[in-house]
Amino acid sequence: MLLNQFLLLGAVLFCIGVYGVLARKNGVLVLMSIELILNSVNINLVAFGMMGGDAAAITGQVFALFVITVAAAEVGVGLAIVLLIYRNRTTVDLDEVDLMKG
Amino acid sequence: MSDFLQAYLTVAVFGGTAGLLIAGVLGLGRLIRPSRPNPDKLTTYESGVDPVGSGFSQSQVRYYIFALLFVLFDVEAVFIFPWAVGLETYSYFGLVEMGIFVFILVLGLVYAWRKGVLRWV
Amino acid sequence: MLAAAFSRPEIDYHAFAPEIVLVGALLLILVVDLLFEDRARWATSTLAGLGLLGALVPILTLAVDGGDRSMFGGAYVVDNFALVLKALFLIGGYLTVLISTDYIGEGDYYEGEYYFMLLSSLLGMLVIASARDLISIFIALETLSIPAYLLAGWRKRDLKGNEASLKYYLLGVFASGVMLYGMSLIFGVTHSTVLTVIGERLAGGGASVPIVTVGILFVIIGFAFKVSAVPFHAWAPDTYEGAPTPITAYLSVASKAAGFVALLSLVFIAFEGRSDVWQPLFWVLSALTMTVGNVIALRQTNVIRLLAYSSVAQAGYMLAPFAVAGHTGVNQAVESVVTYLLVYLAMNIGAFAVVMAVARKTRSGELSSFGGLFEYAPGLTVLTSIFFFALAGIPPLGGWYAKLVIFRTLLDQPTVWSVVLAVLVGVNSAIGLYYYASVARETWMRPVPDEDRTPISVPSSLAAAIGLCAIATLAIGVVPQIVARFAHLAPFGS
Repeated sequence: MLLNQFLLLGAVLFCIGVYGVLARKNGVLVLMSIELILNSVNINLVAFGMMGGDAAAITGQVFALFVITVAAAEVGVGLAIVLLIYRNRTTVDLDEVDLMKG
Repeated sequence: MSDFLQAYLTVAVFGGTAGLLIAGVLGLGRLIRPSRPNPDKLTTYESGVDPVGSGFSQSQVRYYIFALLFVLFDVEAVFIFPWAVGLETYSYFGLVEMGIFVFILVLGLVYAWRKGVLRWV
Repeated sequence: MLAAAFSRPEIDYHAFAPEIVLVGALLLILVVDLLFEDRARWATSTLAGLGLLGALVPILTLAVDGGDRSMFGGAYVVDNFALVLKALFLIGGYLTVLISTDYIGEGDYYEGEYYFMLLSSLLGMLVIASARDLISIFIALETLSIPAYLLAGWRKRDLKGNEASLKYYLLGVFASGVMLYGMSLIFGVTHSTVLTVIGERLAGGGASVPIVTVGILFVIIGFAFKVSAVPFHAWAPDTYEGAPTPITAYLSVASKAAGFVALLSLVFIAFEGRSDVWQPLFWVLSALTMTVGNVIALRQTNVIRLLAYSSVAQAGYMLAPFAVAGHTGVNQAVESVVTYLLVYLAMNIGAFAVVMAVARKTRSGELSSFGGLFEYAPGLTVLTSIFFFALAGIPPLGGWYAKLVIFRTLLDQPTVWSVVLAVLVGVNSAIGLYYYASVARETWMRPVPDEDRTPISVPSSLAAAIGLCAIATLAIGVVPQIVARFAHLAPFGS
């Protein structure tokens, strides 16, 4: 019973994050949406871990710790890239970054 | 009704009361206050000074770099707290391992320092 | 409740030696760059090269020693599969350093940081070859990706470089988010992150809940971004065009190979029992990737973009063995993918290296700028033809053997689906031949566009890289037993 609530929260957060990545134009907001996805993963990991006994609980929490630190590194790099683009073209609107069309 | 849902019922009642209260107070204000629209009321500063430039202004970039360094080194501490709790059981093995981890982090800090990022300009 | 008794993990330093050497080298580069600043800029590329060759030494001693080494409860395994791929990554990295030396030195970019980032990224690749655990796969993947995002945007003031970096970063991070969500679901069902344990529990049948299917799909889709499989390839051409050319070569070979390595260990160890889920998915990915990649490559007029789409198409060929692995068995599929990766390394880095050499004079990546190359640089023309025809799969150049192995895997135990896929590979190879040959035709038959016939001076390290790739491409084509022997060693140890 209790597990479902956490999974539901995780799934909702994940969907909001995916929607944000796809629909937002502002680079910083896209970065925030990606954070939402990673946090939904953390909720899942900790919740699943608590259901699986002691060993799984530790594994889940350690996995979540790694996700947190990697997310910090990723966002650091991402903000640096967005800032660089802002300096060079004074916009963070992703739709305007289209010199090359896939 | 299960205990679980009953617990949430309190939350729902609480939330509903809060919503009603806000709606009531705002609605009351709307009924009582006079309504005289005037274009001057829509300007940014009613004192009459027109704003210059766009609303989106650039903040100091140096804050950004400090904030970034803080986030990176702060988050690395996440590995040090669990280690500190269990340091006695890990004994010298844990001490050496954490020493290597901190050494690499310190190299990063030295890098930032040598590149002049830490100087307040 | 959570306190488990601590027992000191057994660490086999010999098995870790390649990673330790590489970490030492990259920290040394950082310190040298900080201490000597401008006086020692040139030394960083030498140090990077030496560090990579130094990391190869323990790989040789481990190979001579033989035997599988497993650490941390099976989370980190050094077997022949890992050793062959680590050697591939290190050689690919060394070739990248060779082709970078003059490009980065002359371009007035940050040199020390460049090699630091490159080696960090390679460190992630070394780890991913041994990682047999969801956490270590994730960490290794991020270690190799995060420096790569920065390397793609290394030309800071170039708008195309910014765009390349941004697109690569956003899609890469989004992909790892999706992959992580899938991993969390799989962890939730199996309560373990070790791949062998996950494999046992998923195959046990007790875990046939739909959530497993969703988890497997998400993980594979996350990696499909990394290996630029269609429809998740949108970042690849733009990133390849905007990034510095040595990094493009690196991304299209080493980074893609790392994605495939992680896929191999995930799919064939952890998800092996659920081939009903991943087999159709890989069939569709493979068919789409090679067809779309090749068809778009036909229309390109820029050689770098042409190579970018060609590398998308090549990923399609490499995905094909996954689509039949449920019938032919895991070992054959692993063998054919590893063979393809080994051959692809030599010919693709070679192709990028000759494009770089020509661009030193023409300052352009346009196809027309290659016109009449034969009149002033006959040697480079022959080499260009070697690499592009090898990519097309013409015997006796290396590429044919890689394609043959894929065909053999597809047709070994024919089903309707595998035969259709084999036909698709055949048709696509023919399309590929057309555009690879158009580059060769330009160099041999067309006039020189600007009548400038001054010979090209190729710096020694770039020449060395081209030479090494050419020898490897020819040798593999004539004596394919070399790769066959390594690839045969490759399947997973215990």
